[in-house]
Amino acid sequence: MKNGTALFTVMALGLFLCWSNASSAAENIRLGAFFDLSGPASNIGTPTRLVAEMAVAEINKAGGVDGRKLELMIGDTEGNPAKAATLAKKFIYKDKVAAIIGPTRTGTGMTVKPIVEKAGIPTFMTVGGDPIIMGGKFGSYEYVFKSPQRSEVAVKRLFTYLRDNKLNRVALLYAADSFGKDGAEWMEKLAPEFGITFAAQESFGPQDTDMTAQLTRLRNAAPQAIICWTIGPAGAIVAKNRHQLGIDLPLFQCHGLPDPKYIELAGAASEGDRMPSTKLLVAAQLPDSDPQKKTILNFIHLYEEVYDFDRQFPINTHSGYAWDAVTIVAEAIRKAGTEPKALRDTIEATKNFIGVSGIYNLTAEDHNGLDVDSMVMVEVHQGGFVLAR
Amino acid sequence: MPTLTDFLQFLFAGLTNGAIYALIALGFCVVHNTMGIVNFTQVDLVSLGGMFLYSALFLFGLPMPLALAGAVAAAALSGMAVERFGIRPSRSGNHLVLIFLTIGLSVILRGIMKLVWGKNRMAVPPLTADEPIRLFGATLLPQILWIFLLTTAAVILLIWIFRHTTLGLCMRGVASNPAAAAVVGIDAGRIRMVSFAIAGAMGGLAGALVTPITTLSYDVGVLLGLKGFAAAILGGFGSFGGAIAGGLLLGLLESLAAAGLSSAYKDVIAFGLLLLVLFIRPQGLFGAGKR
Repeated sequence: MKNGTALFTVMALGLFLCWSNASSAAENIRLGAFFDLSGPASNIGTPTRLVAEMAVAEINKAGGVDGRKLELMIGDTEGNPAKAATLAKKFIYKDKVAAIIGPTRTGTGMTVKPIVEKAGIPTFMTVGGDPIIMGGKFGSYEYVFKSPQRSEVAVKRLFTYLRDNKLNRVALLYAADSFGKDGAEWMEKLAPEFGITFAAQESFGPQDTDMTAQLTRLRNAAPQAIICWTIGPAGAIVAKNRHQLGIDLPLFQCHGLPDPKYIELAGAASEGDRMPSTKLLVAAQLPDSDPQKKTILNFIHLYEEVYDFDRQFPINTHSGYAWDAVTIVAEAIRKAGTEPKALRDTIEATKNFIGVSGIYNLTAEDHNGLDVDSMVMVEVHQGGFVLAR
Repeated sequence: MPTLTDFLQFLFAGLTNGAIYALIALGFCVVHNTMGIVNFTQVDLVSLGGMFLYSALFLFGLPMPLALAGAVAAAALSGMAVERFGIRPSRSGNHLVLIFLTIGLSVILRGIMKLVWGKNRMAVPPLTADEPIRLFGATLLPQILWIFLLTTAAVILLIWIFRHTTLGLCMRGVASNPAAAAVVGIDAGRIRMVSFAIAGAMGGLAGALVTPITTLSYDVGVLLGLKGFAAAILGGFGSFGGAIAGGLLLGLLESLAAAGLSSAYKDVIAFGLLLLVLFIRPQGLFGAGKR
């Protein structure tokens, strides 16, 4: 008798689970979302996941998409492209998601790209690198989009500022990894257009802990300013080394570093450093006429006060990218439904979408849609970021 | 063209890194000398040194000298725990098994650090104020002087323990002949645990001294530890003098290669020279020849 009861309970439970599963599949719109939740880039991937969940929760709170709730299927890419490929296939063929958000890093994104292209599932990535949405030798990018600005846009923003401030002769210091080299290539390509020349160029390993040798060589070339292109703690080490050597040339960092962490790691040595950033870090300083201001302040309110993420992950320049990706996809589903081809076409036709990281105007050629005006130059001032003069 | 001042600057940079490599290399050597194995948890003992310093300062609010001493002591205890609970229960005398065991333990330690201290980079304050000092036109941070000073003190202490104390005698005894040492009543297990404690203290000191410069994360010791390992090999694995010379030489090679030739290929140049040295002297610069 006892056994019979147990068996019945298990069967009932099983039936219940089947039923609840089936019903949720009919009602909810599933989105795959995978980031580096562990591994070396987990400090970027974990807050990205939180923001994606926050965006979905807010959309559902407002009634979902046409009365249907969004449901995030979360995956951990572990910083491992092979794992990301497996997850992408699971999202597409098992979970039958309408679209995918993520992954975190360019290398992982490049592995996922051919898989989603083949299956024809719209994928909005939060990666930094441009090859994701470049054709030719990088493969097709019909279904792949990304929300962070291209390196090209950041370089143009920086060069515009340098030109306006008559800093034409610069020295370049970049990390010898794919991110640093990508930035260096764009700078060399765009320099003539802005009338900028390079007095010297040096590179360093992304894990290096001392750049005084490179900085000494750069100083000897007598430039007007130093540009450093790297992400992670290396940028802060460059700032500290520059301070140690007593080099009083202005230091410009790349768009990956506007983050309270940079100021924390570099300390007082970061004072006065300038870099291109999204408007997120200087929202309070934006003029009221700025069309993004309302969206950004709302995002900051949710992030800091409602969801309370900022104690563990203070807001940085990247915080809004997952929000933008999720909201653009949700908006497109509202217009076109979940049929992949129609959804793709609608995402591609997104115009004047006011996001946290900029105003998105996508075209068939530009699957990012952010232009130079989505970025501002910020400066470290008394331990915080302000608009650069 | 680099001037004499610039050269001095490169020299400081090289010696700073070199001193840290030397400390880590010494940790490798101490364990190698008593157990005959490469202890790969050494790299995590370096990270742990930084972590403990961070916690002592910000969690317990200790003043810097106490925090530094506490960090080194805690790293030494961690080393002992690794030996007692990680290595000894295997009851294996097979070196290959033991070395693999240390690799596994190293992964576990990194996982624990990730859980306890999180995945974010952290900033550790230097021992004293961060204002650079000018010396013959070159500049250096006070922290760099502390690194030289404390590394030298640690090396002298280590050599004194080995040469002039009963403990040192026991350690040398276990190293040269474990069976004979056991016959005369030396507890080899205890001596091995002490060697891990010394390795932990060396690694912990290196971590606590260098993380104000490099910033701190759970895997900060990996690359530093690898360089320390290379330094130990360069000097002849097991030799204290060799470890110090190897560390300083590697640091200088890196710095001068970056300064004089190419910053992009400095690691290639430094490690290429290291290979060259080992082709000519397979036992390392100060190695004892064939064992």
